[in-house]
Amino acid sequence: MKKIENRAIVCFLLALVLAAGTGLFLIRYVARGDRWASSAFNRHLYNDQGHLMAGTVVDRDGDVLSSVRDGRRTYYEDETVRKATLHAVGDLQGNIGTGALNAFAGRLTGWNFLNGAFGADLGGELTLTIDARYNYEAYRALNGKAGTVAVYNYRTGEILCMVSAPSYDPLHVPEDLESSERYQGAYLNRFLSSGFTPGSVYKTVTLVAALENLPGVEERRWGCEGSVPVGEEIIVCSGVHGEQDLAAAFANSCNVAFAQIAVELGTDTLRRYTEKAGLTSAYEVDGLPTAKGSFDWDLTQGRLGWAGVGQDRDLVNPCGLMVYMGAIAGGGRAAWPYLIAGSKNGLGIPSLPRWTRKTGTLIDQGTAEKLAELMAGNVERTYGAERFPNMDLCAKSGTAEVGEGQSPHAWFAGFLRNKDAPYAFVVLVENGGGGSRVAGTVAGKVLDVMVNGY
Amino acid sequence: MNLSDLLAAYPDLGPWYTAFARFLFPLLAGAILWRAVRSLLRIPHTPESWGQLSLPNGTSIPLTHWENILGRSRSADVCLGYPSVSRQHAALCRGEDEQWTLYDLGSKGGVLLNGEKVEGSASIQLGDTIQLGGVPLIFLPQTVAEREELEEKRRAERPAAMWPSFLWLTVFQLLACTQLMIATGDSLVIPLAFLGLTGVMWLYAVALRLARCVGFEMETIAFFLSTLSLSVTASSAPGSLFKQLLAIILGLILFLTLGLFLRDLGRVQRNRWTMAALAIGLLAVTLVLGNRKYGAVNWISLGPLSLQPSELAKICYIFAGAATLERLFHRRNLTLFIVLTGLCIGFLGLMSDFGTASIFFVTFLVIAYLRSGDFATLSLICGGAVFGAGILLKFKPYILSRFASWGHAWENASTGGYQQTRTMSAAASGGLLGMGGGEGWLHRVPAADTDLVFGMLCEEWGLLIALLAVGSIVTLAFFTVRACRVGRSSFYTIAACAAGSLLVFQTSLNVFGSVDLLPLTGVTFPFVSNGGSAMMSAWGLLAFLKATDTREHASFAIRRQKLRSTPPD
Repeated sequence: MKKIENRAIVCFLLALVLAAGTGLFLIRYVARGDRWASSAFNRHLYNDQGHLMAGTVVDRDGDVLSSVRDGRRTYYEDETVRKATLHAVGDLQGNIGTGALNAFAGRLTGWNFLNGAFGADLGGELTLTIDARYNYEAYRALNGKAGTVAVYNYRTGEILCMVSAPSYDPLHVPEDLESSERYQGAYLNRFLSSGFTPGSVYKTVTLVAALENLPGVEERRWGCEGSVPVGEEIIVCSGVHGEQDLAAAFANSCNVAFAQIAVELGTDTLRRYTEKAGLTSAYEVDGLPTAKGSFDWDLTQGRLGWAGVGQDRDLVNPCGLMVYMGAIAGGGRAAWPYLIAGSKNGLGIPSLPRWTRKTGTLIDQGTAEKLAELMAGNVERTYGAERFPNMDLCAKSGTAEVGEGQSPHAWFAGFLRNKDAPYAFVVLVENGGGGSRVAGTVAGKVLDVMVNGY
Repeated sequence: MNLSDLLAAYPDLGPWYTAFARFLFPLLAGAILWRAVRSLLRIPHTPESWGQLSLPNGTSIPLTHWENILGRSRSADVCLGYPSVSRQHAALCRGEDEQWTLYDLGSKGGVLLNGEKVEGSASIQLGDTIQLGGVPLIFLPQTVAEREELEEKRRAERPAAMWPSFLWLTVFQLLACTQLMIATGDSLVIPLAFLGLTGVMWLYAVALRLARCVGFEMETIAFFLSTLSLSVTASSAPGSLFKQLLAIILGLILFLTLGLFLRDLGRVQRNRWTMAALAIGLLAVTLVLGNRKYGAVNWISLGPLSLQPSELAKICYIFAGAATLERLFHRRNLTLFIVLTGLCIGFLGLMSDFGTASIFFVTFLVIAYLRSGDFATLSLICGGAVFGAGILLKFKPYILSRFASWGHAWENASTGGYQQTRTMSAAASGGLLGMGGGEGWLHRVPAADTDLVFGMLCEEWGLLIALLAVGSIVTLAFFTVRACRVGRSSFYTIAACAAGSLLVFQTSLNVFGSVDLLPLTGVTFPFVSNGGSAMMSAWGLLAFLKATDTREHASFAIRRQKLRSTPPD
């Protein structure tokens, strides 16, 4: 009998498996419960049309972006504001996954671990970090083009402006939304969820690698005759820049110089610096994962030349790039970006204050300071400081070729060193044309409102 | 003035009641289960004693089972540290009519009974002398003093009184019934069904108490889970409420009948073949007459009633699979049992009921391990099963498509992960305390009150109660493992372990399947899911557990020990 009694341990082990699995379920429940509850089919939070039953979304100054009145969900009264804040607030049909109405439904309705959705019909209030006015200006500045504009405070992490275009009015959904060319990818929040060819903005990474790995690089000079053969490829430049030092080559955004630098650095070094800059990792913005950038590192010499100037198969995510800009400004580390300033549940009890979280070191401090000076030099020499009044601006433009017959993507990314306006930003205009001219202008308009008031 | 008039007059009353009562339910559930769980986990207790063997050095070893192995091995029940004794030398078993039999287990030194060599086995009387490899032992009853001391000790270990739990459970039933009446607006069927359950519960307690039974922990757990079952049914299928109550009553009757039947080991032995035939018969009949429901052909319709015979086959299967030590000496291999298992699993496979098939397979592994302890053979069988499953999938690849969304429920929320995502979302909506009985929406999803019942518990009754329900099943398994130490016969030990493992595994499949930790296989949560056959089967399986509870007067499934000792002269 004793032998058989000892074997009864199998029953005990099975019971342990049940207990362990239930424990795993509990961990998932605690970690993801609010996202599970925030599903459009959850009838405790959403009505039978899939509209969130209760909860108010406000911007950082308390402007109501969406609320429920007389049992119907409404939005801000101005149509342009509705379009400009659509990807932050969310649509009624649940197609825009990054919108607060979908992503943060739990917080909006006061869902919590103890009570679940009980009392969710009372509705809570969710304050976003964005300012509707900045979004409005940014959306207008994009002027109907597809693209994205985002600005965040690299000291605190608040995302002050986040626009993705094309957008549409959530109260009057266009009938051709899913068929028309002009609404292509309208559900997508380009800032968080997309990757784009970076073009010359990627030179900020190549430059950092050069500063740290090529001794005496700041004293060297490169000649540019408009193009140069690298390996099997001919790297073409935007102009003929002649003899130039590193700072001038950066300000001129000279492909000839940077392709040669990239080849000198080699694939492994470039890869290391790209990964360190955080361009291949994802950030979680209040639980919303950003898209990771992607790079093909299996390169021939010629392709390495192109990759070093942000072409080839390079793709970066706008949010990742913006945080990298923040890290350059912050001496190597930046605040982690976030969208929810705070919330109140149905009984008016506010959420706990949040603390600033920092990224890892994306760039060494000394290099960050040098790079910032060089980026300030870009504005001085190339973009024109008078376009950005009262701003101690450091920036890099990009004009990313995206294929024959298509206008290039226009990029403008950088940051302000103003004490009272510690903002990092990224602007992308799809098929917009020249980086500084098109995207720089959009950035200038938005930053002007933010720094000089409206 | 009845409840519906009251609610019509004061419409705010309902929401206020729910808001208040939802805090009470977990507290009540805790109060109900606390005593039962604590009392069950206190086992093992002082074992029964059926006699003793007096050793040459003057000490004596009590016989605490009906089946005892004598030998040098440390795993022997009577451990004799003499070099001439084999590791497993002899066995001393108590058969029908309290007759003891001595077996020679192929020992080297031989077994002598009163000086005569035992060939195979021999009947033995109290007072006889045994020699194992030359070591003399005397088979004696206990002395009066010893017996009285033991009785004293065992009486002090009396199970905790369960009437407070029954009282709390009655309050729970009352509050739950009111909650469900408010939520559904029904004021006839629900109160009658709950009243029926409360009545049956107290009737059972009083009847058994009058029969001097004192252990009610397992019944408390089962009645608590059955109450949850009624609540879930009231919310999802009010029309089946009486059917479910009837199933609980039939289950209780099955529990009592099987328990009483199990008292007599001889009777049990004689009926093992019948049970094996019944298991096969039930499954075969289903295969021939069965209807398809949710992809598996496992239902038989008898007029208005539909029955799932595979549920009852589980009981027969365990009955047929468990064995006494005596039988294990005779027939060391598992061939017949493997044939029975193969037939059962084969039939279930043909019905496409893979959930139940996997339950049978795990039960088989547990029984086979307990019987043989042979890891090598079992590993081989597991390997064979994996191979067989591979072949099956090669010829019937559509089976695999059922598991395609496993682990990716949210990416397939409107196709393969439909039920799982709804379960998780509804479960998360409940929070710790639940939305209130009858206030959920998950019951509109197909199979919510059976396969997804864990989600319904979370949504309407809260995570705490759902976890307590799982914890109850875990407690039953822990109890089984510990109670086995003092079981009378290996038949009871094996059967109880198999039943306990089956309940645990089935609960695992149900809970993990519904929240996407395992593929959704469509098995029920014992005692909780809506469904008559499943309810009866759960109560029936509980009888096997009840039959290992040898605490003094604790279990009706244990025949009371007749007092036998040396008369004082």
